[in-house]
Amino acid sequence: MARSVVVEFNPCMKHQLIRKIAREFSENEIKPQVAELDRDARFPHDIVEKMKPLNFFGLQVPKHLGGAGLDSISYAIVVEEVSRVSAALGLCVTVHNSVGIFPILKFGNPEQIERFVPAMAAGDSIGAFCLTEANAGSDAGGVETTARKIQDGYLINGTKIFVTNGGVAGTILVFAVTEDDQKSANVFIVEKDRPGFLVGEIEDLCGMRANPVSSLFFEDCKVPGKNLLGKSGQGLKIGLTGLDTGRIGIAAQALGIAQAAFEDSVAYAKERQQFNQPISRFQTIQNYLADMATQIDAARLLVYRAADYKDRNLPFSAQASMAKLYCSDTARKVTDMAVQIHGGYGYSKEYDVERYFRDAKVTQIYEGTSEVQRMVIAKNILTQPS
Amino acid sequence: MKIFKILVCIKQVPMVSELPWDAKTGTLKRELAQGMMDPSSRRALEAGLQIKENRAELGEKTQITVLSMGPAMAMETLYQAKSLGADKGILLSDRAMAGADTFLTSFILARFIKQEVPDVDLVLCGSQTSDSETGQVGPQLAEELSIPAIGYAADIQLQGHKVRVQRHVDDFFEVLEMDLPGLVTIDQAAYTPRYAAFGGVQDAFGTTDIIRVDAKSLGLDENFNAVKDSPTRIVDVYSPTTRKENRVFKGTAKAVVDQLFEDYGKIISSAMGKDLKGQGEKI
Repeated sequence: MARSVVVEFNPCMKHQLIRKIAREFSENEIKPQVAELDRDARFPHDIVEKMKPLNFFGLQVPKHLGGAGLDSISYAIVVEEVSRVSAALGLCVTVHNSVGIFPILKFGNPEQIERFVPAMAAGDSIGAFCLTEANAGSDAGGVETTARKIQDGYLINGTKIFVTNGGVAGTILVFAVTEDDQKSANVFIVEKDRPGFLVGEIEDLCGMRANPVSSLFFEDCKVPGKNLLGKSGQGLKIGLTGLDTGRIGIAAQALGIAQAAFEDSVAYAKERQQFNQPISRFQTIQNYLADMATQIDAARLLVYRAADYKDRNLPFSAQASMAKLYCSDTARKVTDMAVQIHGGYGYSKEYDVERYFRDAKVTQIYEGTSEVQRMVIAKNILTQPS
Repeated sequence: MKIFKILVCIKQVPMVSELPWDAKTGTLKRELAQGMMDPSSRRALEAGLQIKENRAELGEKTQITVLSMGPAMAMETLYQAKSLGADKGILLSDRAMAGADTFLTSFILARFIKQEVPDVDLVLCGSQTSDSETGQVGPQLAEELSIPAIGYAADIQLQGHKVRVQRHVDDFFEVLEMDLPGLVTIDQAAYTPRYAAFGGVQDAFGTTDIIRVDAKSLGLDENFNAVKDSPTRIVDVYSPTTRKENRVFKGTAKAVVDQLFEDYGKIISSAMGKDLKGQGEKI
């Protein structure tokens, strides 16, 4: 029988299908609980259990290590769709996959990859990345956590703050300064059951409340030498590479929040009656909706471009920063307009836009503030040969 | 060891609740809506997957082929089926086959099965698709294939080369046995479908197990035209409307109650197409 065999990779159809699956799961399994999770600042272990077999925790991990082996655009789509329903859970997924797993895959030796990645990809060990401290954040050079070389490893001492996934993390990448011959920045992989490792209280935050963001304490926490990620002194490089990847995820997360706020606004504008007509008939509201849609589309294209650069192994640092800067600004602006369209109801917890509004703000702060993104972009421009 | 062959018929349906109909032709404007796997087809596939898993535990092999007919975009549902665990997917797709009614659809599906999977053991269909709800394709397909059929199954158990099918009828369960090969349609509330894993999707798009078959390959006459050759026509399609209205009866209690029954009787009479006036007096 004569047949046309479809062998070509069809990214559009694949990406569409990935989006539908992620959306269906998020709407059916996450949405019913989302308001309560936010109110109670509770991490949904039950939902996480359902997410594990579907590869949410190993999106870009190669198949042989138990992951889905997806491309970066697919990854961004999944993060966007989860965040469209729950930004806090989208945050868990993106941080785990990007700054949790990616640095180990990229800089880890085969033994480390084999030891850590399969459990993380299965979702049995959630990843966290800790750089921020009381006196270090945007300025990574200010890190005060130390790793002192001892005979068979390192002793880590210090306090990390605002660690996403901190309260539930099983595999933690810790940014510390090693003082031996010379001062150097390093990243260590710390398992949660190491003596001397303690989880602080869950932060009481404005948004992303279902994510167990916490402080982490290291008190003479001993890790073996084989837990040093990459070569000694490579810490800053690992950190920056991880953050570049992470920024694509945060951009996608912000995009998901904006998309949700936009959809709710369209529905509300059609339904809400004032002066005997739906408010969507008013040009002021139409202008809001048009601006929201345009900014969201532009933001989405920036995310996909950064993801595409990464997949094609092109330098993508500036592209990721542009995507993160623009998406987080868009999320902030769009959620602001969404609350405005909803009026008093938008300021009430009865409507989801109130949560989107709170969740959006931090996307301009974590994984590099908007100011830091501009520094990265400007540096990229000014170091280009003219 | 003989491989047990299951064929699952799946359809891509529009994802919207408010369907964009073409008022002139009475057919759906499919290009306007995003597609998804028909929920009922998805349950039929789930039934097939569970049979395959149960047999695998006993060390027995099963092959699931998913068969669909539709435009090129329906290929997506076959990739979805593949990512869920189907082995092969076939899309019967050709301009000449577009617009086929349920009779011709069953005829075309049967033609492919007779040519390509003549040794099929079990054919599974959803009981009815969410876009047209006719429930006709499954039973008609069984007729075309000259195999027995059971509709609205809630549970299927394989026993040798027979199936034991349980279905919910009114207020009781009915258990039926049928020799294979046979066709079973799955009830809309049975076999809660699983989600596809992303790794499965990634794999599905890397395979050559999803193929497209045109009218010529099926050996259909070159003058074949589904719209012209379909024996049935959709005369009218419309969304059912419901109307609520408040009426206030005024007067004495007796007058209000009498008026209420009088008006209610008129509504019931008109719905039944029969004048009920006077019937109450006999009781």
